[in-house]
Amino acid sequence: MRRLLLGVVAVALCTVPVAANAGVTNPDISLIGQPLIHWTDAAGDPSRKRPVLDAGETEIVFDAALNPYARGWATLSFAEGGASVEEIYFTMLRGLPAGLTLKGGKYRMGFGKLNMVHPHAYPFAERFSVLAAYLPGEEAFNETGLQLSARLPAPGDISLTASIDALQGDTFRILRQPSLALNDPLAIDPLNGDRTAEPRTAVLGRLSAFLPVNVRSGVELGLSGTQGTNNAAAATRTTVLGADVKAKLWTGDDSFLLVQAEALKLDREEAGWDEASAAYTTTSIQPLGGYLFADFSWAKRYDAGASYESFQRPTADKTRDSAFGVFAGLWLMEETTAFHLEYHRFMPGTPDGAIESPDAVNSLRLRVIFSMGPHKVHQF
Amino acid sequence: MFRNLLLFVVAALALASGPAVAKVRVAASTNDLASIASRIGGDEIEVFAIARANSDPHRVEALPSYMVKVSRAQVYLKVGLGLDQWAGAIIDGSRNDKVLLVDCSKGVPVLERPTGKVDASMGDVHPDGNPHYWLDPRNGATIGQNIAEALTRVDPAHAVLYRANAESFAKETAASYEKNHARAARLASKAVLTYHRSWSYLADAFGLEVVATVEPVPGIPPTAKHLALLVQTAKARKVGVLLQEPYFSAEAGRFLVRQAGVRVVTQSSACADITAGSYLAHFDNLFDALAGGTAP
Repeated sequence: MRRLLLGVVAVALCTVPVAANAGVTNPDISLIGQPLIHWTDAAGDPSRKRPVLDAGETEIVFDAALNPYARGWATLSFAEGGASVEEIYFTMLRGLPAGLTLKGGKYRMGFGKLNMVHPHAYPFAERFSVLAAYLPGEEAFNETGLQLSARLPAPGDISLTASIDALQGDTFRILRQPSLALNDPLAIDPLNGDRTAEPRTAVLGRLSAFLPVNVRSGVELGLSGTQGTNNAAAATRTTVLGADVKAKLWTGDDSFLLVQAEALKLDREEAGWDEASAAYTTTSIQPLGGYLFADFSWAKRYDAGASYESFQRPTADKTRDSAFGVFAGLWLMEETTAFHLEYHRFMPGTPDGAIESPDAVNSLRLRVIFSMGPHKVHQF
Repeated sequence: MFRNLLLFVVAALALASGPAVAKVRVAASTNDLASIASRIGGDEIEVFAIARANSDPHRVEALPSYMVKVSRAQVYLKVGLGLDQWAGAIIDGSRNDKVLLVDCSKGVPVLERPTGKVDASMGDVHPDGNPHYWLDPRNGATIGQNIAEALTRVDPAHAVLYRANAESFAKETAASYEKNHARAARLASKAVLTYHRSWSYLADAFGLEVVATVEPVPGIPPTAKHLALLVQTAKARKVGVLLQEPYFSAEAGRFLVRQAGVRVVTQSSACADITAGSYLAHFDNLFDALAGGTAP
């Protein structure tokens, strides 16, 4: 799959005419810092009920035209855990037939409305737990792939866009706990008994529509679906379906209300091993969940809002967790510095058979986001 | 029978109407460029603008609906000089690889081009110079020439019309300049305050003097200390008017009205609409307001 992707990318980049002196200038370079102060009463947290200063995640963004037809992006991420290439991709915006665009590399997947957005652009401090629980990947659903996108015919100024991604699929991988059976492939070969390292192609599709309400306001509706193999030997799959809506309604020259919601359904087959039949077994979990937030911005530099999420855990008992938060933001100077304050209350559900309900977890977070360079902190 | 009759009528109407004459579709970042395009292109073009007259042209959200509109355009008129950087996202998102991108600042004598190192401590400064050049009607003539050349490229059949319209428009801009220059000379005070550095071309063209801006540096709101300094400056220089756009905060203006006795003239830096006469009418409206004859 990787060779195929690289081949297609190479062909795509080589088949368009490129000026001999293209790419002679430096790319736009931006640095985004996100230091924060965090407080939580979570049981077991070593800094429980004490404020913690954290340098947070720092991003360096490179952005440039590669030639008249394509642009390139790279985002390097630095955090306590180390450095990583969060995204590196090209987008062919012109030169393909029928208005198609092609994107290739490693990038945040366009599943729903929030996953593709970098955390520094959220009005709240952290992404919703339902996304972390249902979507593949740890920090985000971030994969190596190739995307073809097209705008479909639609009446008036409605924008209807469809995209399909062929993915490397590594983020779908789930490492199975070995059973006690002696004939379990994982007992025989703990490293690769489940053909763990084997490539597993995945796909993602999205259909989205933007419906203008007036010259500035609009509603976006989207449907997303992704499927990949989580265990190559057992051929078990993870499928996530999602529906999303985002409405941005301007209430004045400098004020708008943003409302966004996503509903997700996870269908995950989990592989096990049956000693008697010496074969893989499959169980399926199908939890549902979603989030909703509303954010009101005014006078260019203030915003305040609230969020709510509720989701079934991706476990057999489907315990339902929920959380709500309130947040406020201040853009101090122009678009280069923003303060985000959030109170968040996570209310874990009570698993079947549990005697006591677990305690809710309260947390408070003040995040400062500053940017150096052309890539700004966003909404201003 | 009824269906056959209906089909016949539809076919007859279609034949009778003859082939539709396709107009050149022009997208523009601002009303001013669109208005000038309307004057140059006349009935041969269809034009629309993206930034609204009363909104900040520096900040426009790249809505998908704009991309759909631009996907149908043959020409895109850009202000350039870093003002409408958002246009790039709209053009890219339009997936229109045939659109002719026209930087209308070509040939314009640019004011306030920074020398030396430019960084964010200087505020939202434009490294290529002040981009509000359409506020000098003489630059309007240059914009008209740029648009005429672009229309000629995509629609050579009407090249003579476009060039002739550009020439007559240049004469109209010269007349507008002369008329309003005389009006400016009659203003009680030529010393003005502006909120942002958006009026430098207007001042340069008509002999006004921008003695200070409410923003200490571009894009940064005023501090109390800076406002106190403005009060001193306004009194010392006998400033009569604060000229500002409607999308900036009115708070500083109210303070200066109280403390320095200036009159706030709230006017958009963009013309009202995209009709052919709107661009030059904007200068008349501006000098009506500066003279105090018309409420903003």
